[in-house]
Amino acid sequence: MESMLIEPYMQRALLIAVLLAPLCGVLGVFVTARRMSFFSETVAHGSLAGVAIGLALGIDTAWPILGVSLVVALLVLWLRENTDLLTDTIMALLMSGFMAAGVVGFSKLRGFRGELHRYLFGDILSVGWPDVALAGVVCGFVLVFLVTRLSPMALMTLSEDLAHVSGTSVRRLNLVFVVLLTLTVALSIRLLGIILVTSLLVIPPATARNVASTLRQELLLSLVCGLLSGILGVVASYQFDLPCGPAIVLTAVGLFLLSLGARFLRRPARLSTRP
Amino acid sequence: MASIRFHREGLALEVRGLRVSLGETEVLRGIDLHVPKGRIVAVIGPNGSGKTTLLRCLLGLQKPSAGEIRLFGQPLGPEVLGRVGYVPQRLSLDRSFLLSVREFLALRLRETRHWIWWRRSTLDLHLRGLLPGHDLGPLLDRPVAGLSGGQLQRVLVAFSLIGSPELLLLDEPTAGVDAPGEQSFYELIASVHRERQLSVVLVSHDLSMVYRHACRVYALNGVICCEGTPEEVMNADSLRQAYGMHFTPYHHDHGPGHHHHPGEGG
Repeated sequence: MESMLIEPYMQRALLIAVLLAPLCGVLGVFVTARRMSFFSETVAHGSLAGVAIGLALGIDTAWPILGVSLVVALLVLWLRENTDLLTDTIMALLMSGFMAAGVVGFSKLRGFRGELHRYLFGDILSVGWPDVALAGVVCGFVLVFLVTRLSPMALMTLSEDLAHVSGTSVRRLNLVFVVLLTLTVALSIRLLGIILVTSLLVIPPATARNVASTLRQELLLSLVCGLLSGILGVVASYQFDLPCGPAIVLTAVGLFLLSLGARFLRRPARLSTRP
Repeated sequence: MASIRFHREGLALEVRGLRVSLGETEVLRGIDLHVPKGRIVAVIGPNGSGKTTLLRCLLGLQKPSAGEIRLFGQPLGPEVLGRVGYVPQRLSLDRSFLLSVREFLALRLRETRHWIWWRRSTLDLHLRGLLPGHDLGPLLDRPVAGLSGGQLQRVLVAFSLIGSPELLLLDEPTAGVDAPGEQSFYELIASVHRERQLSVVLVSHDLSMVYRHACRVYALNGVICCEGTPEEVMNADSLRQAYGMHFTPYHHDHGPGHHHHPGEGG
């Protein structure tokens, strides 16, 4: 355990897990309630084009991943407002388009084929200090956002019309939420990988819902589940030489199964009454 | 068609020449409507007549292509919207969102904006008395998404009354609510109206409840087909104009002014 903590790459991986995994847990409560999981998938898969751009230019891939993710997210919003296309269609179009561009980019790069696996499934070795610094900044913004805008956010999740009548600028709040979500997803790709990053937005809230009965409990438990999944997953990845993303996801799934068991024990009847 | 002239300062809501297009279709074509302060005014009409579009315009959720809306003599804007309470049609809620009734009500109350840090008992102190005479206590721990139709509408009324609005907008508030729930809902609205002297706009196609509670009725079908007191508007000719050729209202014996239309609920 001590040897693990003196490794600089493990320090970075654990730090980024501590910063981002609980954020994914809390943001995931709103992502799932607003049915935005596919949006996160779109942003994450689209960011493959950013990886290819970064490798082609020989620069740190963190910046092009962030840039391309934001472009994809804002394109989703713009096309939704300015065309008659269904949101699902827009997201599928952008996800496949940007991902195809990324794969084509990779196919033209020599000597980077092995890199693809790291970005698809996450790698603790790939986390650099700039990633940790960026995660710290994004974590700060998300915390300020949640502390100051939690009530309008909860109301907007319930009903955008009620939020509007209660004085919330729904369009602006939605934009800020989407940008912060995109940044969190883009930075989490280092640990979880493009394929699995959305799982940390979905599994911790699902775990929390098995045992919580209020939004406050749901947010708190989802945060704790995200944090535990991130830390235990990174440790398991080091100890058992596992790919980092799958190790975190399997930890999260394990916690979900425990919560499901707890729910069975506490209120067995409720399972059958849920639609 | 009856017409009454109102002094502007006596109006909670004034709509003049309102036109709204959705895509190629003009769904509202020159709507004029007045709501005197402290009165209940109903807007009735068949499905697709533009009732909800009209209400969305009043809330600033839909931009009109022409016309003017004034609330309490002022143009529509965020400031004047603070004087409005809104009860939507039954919300389609995701049952996985565990917002409790206590948390929901705390979202709107200025003092409890940061409810997440507050103790339950402290929150309850602030929420007590939101709907006097209609104890919400047993519902406070329940998730909003798990309430029955009637319970949810009571909670939405309590939510809409936070901040002491002067105008209440109700959009088909009893859609999907069973008959006893519907009756107790309208009794709640009537008592709130009496106690607080609220102005109310009730958008509905439940003609019996409109007849019983509204002082003035507008029949809408893209345009205002007719307006007046419930007795004036709810004669067969006026309603046929709004609802089309096949409308035939009929009377029951159980209560004065109790009109029903087959298929219209209530």
